[in-house]
Amino acid sequence: MLLFRSEETVNLWCASHDIPRRPQVNLTQLWQLAVQWYRNRLTLESRRPAPDEMVPIFASLGLTGPFWDPKSDQWR
Amino acid sequence: MPDYDLDTKVKLAIYEITAETGRIPNSSAVSHKIDIDESEVVTAFGRLHAKRLLLPEPDDPSRIRMAPPFSGIATAFPVEANGRNYFANCVWDAYGIAAALHCDAVSRASDGHTGEPLTLEVKNGQPVLKPYVAHFAVPAAHWWDNLIFT
Repeated sequence: MLLFRSEETVNLWCASHDIPRRPQVNLTQLWQLAVQWYRNRLTLESRRPAPDEMVPIFASLGLTGPFWDPKSDQWR
Repeated sequence: MPDYDLDTKVKLAIYEITAETGRIPNSSAVSHKIDIDESEVVTAFGRLHAKRLLLPEPDDPSRIRMAPPFSGIATAFPVEANGRNYFANCVWDAYGIAAALHCDAVSRASDGHTGEPLTLEVKNGQPVLKPYVAHFAVPAAHWWDNLIFT
């Protein structure tokens, strides 16, 4: 996942790499993702969220649809 | 260290050493820290990989490429936090280091297309907001297929 100044440079990067434009998140969403994913990572009970736990995390930030579903087969 | 199972001991040692030094340890360093035979540590690395908690170097199972959010190699996402320098695997992980360490941080990153310097900062526990965006090129169902590219 890369950082861009704006949607404009995202579009230029996608075009130059022949990669479809996919979802973008703003810094508020990105910070909340980081907190939910990693806040306990250095603790005894840390683990990566399970697939069924990821969907509500994404949805709480407005990130919905098959792109954000780790069980989606739309992209296979 | 208390009597946790081996994988937990290894995981905690990896993250403790990384947080303290800014560098992800290899199996030798972990072996020394927890006084476990190095071959057992390497085997534990493999199990932690299966649990998607770390990514060993493809050609060297004694070294760790990623212990998310930390990177075992230099990347375009350096992070300064707690007076130490770390590397994150991606822009998400740049914030992730601040979240994992529960501290403020600065990442002097750059625009993925133009290379223009862009700074991410966490101050007083909150991100300093700017109109930047992160682009997710790979769907969630495939993040672990090629974690280095993702």
